[in-house]
Amino acid sequence: MIEWALIIGFIAAGIRTSAPLMLASLGETIVERGGILNLGIEGAMLIGAFTGFMGAFLTGNLWIGLLMAILGGILTVLVFGILVVRINLDQVVSGLAINLLAAGLCLYFFRLAFSQGAFPYLSELIGPYPIPLLSQIPVIGDVLFNQTIFVYVGIIAVPITYYLIFKTSYGLKLRSVGEDPLVAAYLGIDVSRIRYTALILEGILVGMAGGLLCLSMFNVFDTRIVAARGFVAVSIVILGRWNPVGALAGSLLFGFTEALSLWIGTFLIGPASASISQLLSLLPYLVTLIALLIGGRRVRGPAALGSPFSKE
Amino acid sequence: MQNPLFFLKRSVEGKATTIQADQHPSSEYALYVKGINKTYPNGIVANRDVSVSVMWGEVHAILGENGAGKTTLVKIISGCLKPDSGEIYIDGKKVDIDSPLKAVSLGIGMVHQHFTLIPSFTVAENIALSLPLKGRLSLDHVKEKIKSVSEVLNLKIDPDARIEQLPVGLRQRVEILRLLCQDVKILILDEPTSVLTPIEVEDLFRMIRELKSKGKSIIIITHKVREALAISDRVTIMRGGRVVKTLMTKDSNESELASLVVEGFCPSLKIEHVGRGDPILLVKDLKVKGDRGEIAVKGISLVLHSGEILGMAGVAGNGQKELVEAITGLRRAESGTILIKNCDLTNNPPKSIIRNGVAYIPEDRMRRGVILTMSVSENLVLKNFEDPPYSKGMIMDKGAIERSASELITRFGIKASDPWITVNSLSGGNIQKLVVARELSNGASILIAEQPTAGLDVKASEGVHQKMMELKSKGVGILLVSADLDEIVRLSDRILVIFEGRIVGEFTRDNCDIQKIARLMLGAPV
Amino acid sequence: MELKLPLSLSKGTIRSLYKAGISIGFALLLTSILFLLTGANPFLAFYYIFAGAFGNISLAAETLVRTTPILLVSLGLAISFRCKVWNIGAEGQLYMGAMLGTITAVALGNTPLTLIISLFVSIVGGLLWASVPAFMRARLGINEVITTFLMNYVSIYLIQWLLAFPFRSPDTLFPESAQIPSSAVLPVLVPYTRLHLGVVIALFVALPLVHFLMMRTTFGYKLKAVGENPEAAKYGGINVGRTMLLALIISGALAGLAGFVEVSGIQFRMRPSLSPGYGYTGIVVALLGQNNPLGVALASIFLAAIFNGSTTMSRALNQPQGVVDFIQGVLVIFVLASEYILRYLEKKGVVKI
Repeated sequence: MIEWALIIGFIAAGIRTSAPLMLASLGETIVERGGILNLGIEGAMLIGAFTGFMGAFLTGNLWIGLLMAILGGILTVLVFGILVVRINLDQVVSGLAINLLAAGLCLYFFRLAFSQGAFPYLSELIGPYPIPLLSQIPVIGDVLFNQTIFVYVGIIAVPITYYLIFKTSYGLKLRSVGEDPLVAAYLGIDVSRIRYTALILEGILVGMAGGLLCLSMFNVFDTRIVAARGFVAVSIVILGRWNPVGALAGSLLFGFTEALSLWIGTFLIGPASASISQLLSLLPYLVTLIALLIGGRRVRGPAALGSPFSKE
Repeated sequence: MQNPLFFLKRSVEGKATTIQADQHPSSEYALYVKGINKTYPNGIVANRDVSVSVMWGEVHAILGENGAGKTTLVKIISGCLKPDSGEIYIDGKKVDIDSPLKAVSLGIGMVHQHFTLIPSFTVAENIALSLPLKGRLSLDHVKEKIKSVSEVLNLKIDPDARIEQLPVGLRQRVEILRLLCQDVKILILDEPTSVLTPIEVEDLFRMIRELKSKGKSIIIITHKVREALAISDRVTIMRGGRVVKTLMTKDSNESELASLVVEGFCPSLKIEHVGRGDPILLVKDLKVKGDRGEIAVKGISLVLHSGEILGMAGVAGNGQKELVEAITGLRRAESGTILIKNCDLTNNPPKSIIRNGVAYIPEDRMRRGVILTMSVSENLVLKNFEDPPYSKGMIMDKGAIERSASELITRFGIKASDPWITVNSLSGGNIQKLVVARELSNGASILIAEQPTAGLDVKASEGVHQKMMELKSKGVGILLVSADLDEIVRLSDRILVIFEGRIVGEFTRDNCDIQKIARLMLGAPV
Repeated sequence: MELKLPLSLSKGTIRSLYKAGISIGFALLLTSILFLLTGANPFLAFYYIFAGAFGNISLAAETLVRTTPILLVSLGLAISFRCKVWNIGAEGQLYMGAMLGTITAVALGNTPLTLIISLFVSIVGGLLWASVPAFMRARLGINEVITTFLMNYVSIYLIQWLLAFPFRSPDTLFPESAQIPSSAVLPVLVPYTRLHLGVVIALFVALPLVHFLMMRTTFGYKLKAVGENPEAAKYGGINVGRTMLLALIISGALAGLAGFVEVSGIQFRMRPSLSPGYGYTGIVVALLGQNNPLGVALASIFLAAIFNGSTTMSRALNQPQGVVDFIQGVLVIFVLASEYILRYLEKKGVVKI
């Protein structure tokens, strides 16, 4: 039953490639529910990847790398927070600025840390952690319970985020801030505090998503490593209608597309195979664009999404 | 026969006296406000030495015209604004109210004209927001509280209903309910009836009496004399930022109150009604959707003649906005036709409507009428910057734009130091003048004026009315949309009453019956 | 004594100058601290950057060569940012313009019109690539930031594929196109330098044209009105969707032109490594120049100078490459914060305008 094993392998791979999108889109769902459109998520992921890589490379400990990635993510998102919450700048431009800042810093500090021509890499990656017993279940065990910690966190984060947004008093305040910050402030809700809290939560998730790329997916760092996953995550939030369950579904769709574009490549033989498999690398982006074209038309998000808020 | 405009005859008798407030507030006063002064940054003095006292279990009306300073006063009391000077006592104790939250903790809560509810949330969620909650959101607990509070007052409300699906009257009830859940003892209602139908007004008044019997104090802000008479125990009249007088309601009457409200101003405007000309705007069976996809205009037909002012009376939110937007090309008409000077311009872009001579003074001047960050000159050509002499082909002529701007600035008395300063440095009144100047100088043959005097003081309103009469005498047809029945009745040659997206009545000057219009506006049977 | 400026500048212009000064000042301050931390003398470092950018004729010429694509891209972005359409897809539009221009040039071979036609095709290429997100924004209301950025990846992967397979040059080892014919090459202006006609196109054709378009025409008025208040613009009779659409495709057109100018003036072949991120540098430049064409021109030269000068500086002081990326990154943050900083300084009475 070789084919069967291949399909199971493909599904497991699809879930694995979905993990960074899950983490990032859940983080973005939280802040967007609070009325903040964070397009700087791409940059935050990049910083997470960089600090994660450096942490792991310098200490030789992948878990310290992960911690550094989370810290990097939080820090970047907080810089964004200062721009949009503290001094009320345009959220779109601030997000772009964060992306450019992140790219500039990573490019420079990577070169500062390693001489030209050096090719630093991590000798090991955070691999799958089979869950005892559950991973023994046929098929499901391989697909779901023999994954990396990132997949587990991503999946568990879905109900947690859902609970946070819809079943806690913080979530109610968060949503009110996203719908009408003026009314929320009038009712005595500290809009800035709610938003900073949301941003820190996003920072943790996005930092992990970025760190994952270096610590679990590739063992090297490159400034192009994020490859628009942040923007795909923002698209997923729109397509998932600002709901964690929708974000999960969207992440799986795009994760599987990415896995598919690699998977097909491995089957191709003949003279055109190299050509086609190279062309397939644009598939995830094309699918995202088409999905936006179909499912992103004049959708209604949180009413105050993206608009600056000041108490004056 | 009685003159239909009888209530506009403003008597100048009844000298106003400022009530000298008690020197030592005792706890028999729920609220005692002394010597409030407030000047806005733009120089407008909204409150001058205002003193008011409210007893426990009293309904106290604050009566006055637009711009009399009523809303400023209650915003100060409810912590939304900081006074320049003055003292506030609650239950005999001096308090410092620096935020709405603080006001609520002191037992004062306000229902604003613009509701502070989140439309996509349920009743329970909206009320939960204002309660001190931590951790897990237990809406059941909130719902129980809502139930217990509403049962005492015999209010019926479904805690799981979404606000956006509730009629305005119920939304107001939610606002009041929320304040009661917060244990508020002094309720301030700012113009609560302006958005209600008569049945809802009755419900509200019944609720107010119920609250009063439970020992709450209620302050009701209104510009309607009859309302103040109907519901209040005492009434304080404000004019020009000052308190004119505080009276026992039962010792007063309609004409006395009316004369106190508007004393000292004699309208000099001569209103002439000349014969109307040919029809220039024809609307037939128009259907238009609102923002949420509901049918807001349900088949309206109307005709506007040149040299005529056609008043459209109605409570805000009955389809006027959508009707005007459809005529001006800003919103799609679902069906029906709009003929302007016999040209079918249904669903034409705004540009072509403008080109065909339709001027439009929008209600929301700041957001729609001007571009705040652009200069006065640029704003004055917003409607015709593509026409000569302001541009030739694609090239704009700065000189011509400046010349025309300077001329309009002088002619309309806009206070702007330079034609190239940005609009956001002008005061609200001057911004309105700018919009009026632009719309009235384009040589339009149709003017649609939406609440053209809202927020203006009596003198500035008079100026706008003057300009409208001038245009009318030149043969311009004017569609006047206003919630201010006074204004409509005073200026219009003909009045249409709009209710729930339909025209429900038409009146000419000869058969004008204010009571009937008022009832039709509220959808009541005539 | 009061200093008087020779020109009488409007308050708005003075504010813009202050803001640019604040942004550059803070960015350079931060860079100086970075130099100190990495053991370099900041004064020496900036001296080398300046010398590397303008030290002699050929270095100055190289700086202008670098300015050319940055200016073309950022002029387009200034148009689109003026009406608050955030095109961050200039990189992809640049690549598409370059690719289509190159294909045209190679296909036409040596004809008198090869250059003109190829330049034209590159403009159309950038324009068409930008028209997809433009349509999605103007007609369907889909956020252009996301779509333009995703389109960058589609374009770059597509071009990598085109260069690896259908349009691969038969005579080289790398995935790159065949050389463009000599008639498609932009002539060199100063002998013994690489300064080509492209700089004239950018500085003396595109810049005045864009300046005129933005400052003197009704289209410029519409851009501003739509950017500042789309609701009022619509009310004034402006077609908001069409204005946004035009702004985005014009910026795409200029980015496309920048791409082929780079091929035809410098590289002579289409390569996947054509642009070191000019599409993103353009964003920084447009923001720093505050969407004013003249400001954008100065900002382009400034960033081009740092681009080139930092290479010299890195070699002289044994510093890592890519200080320019660092400066670019912090610069954009300070550009954003400059309004806030300026207001703070005004409040403290440090600055009076």
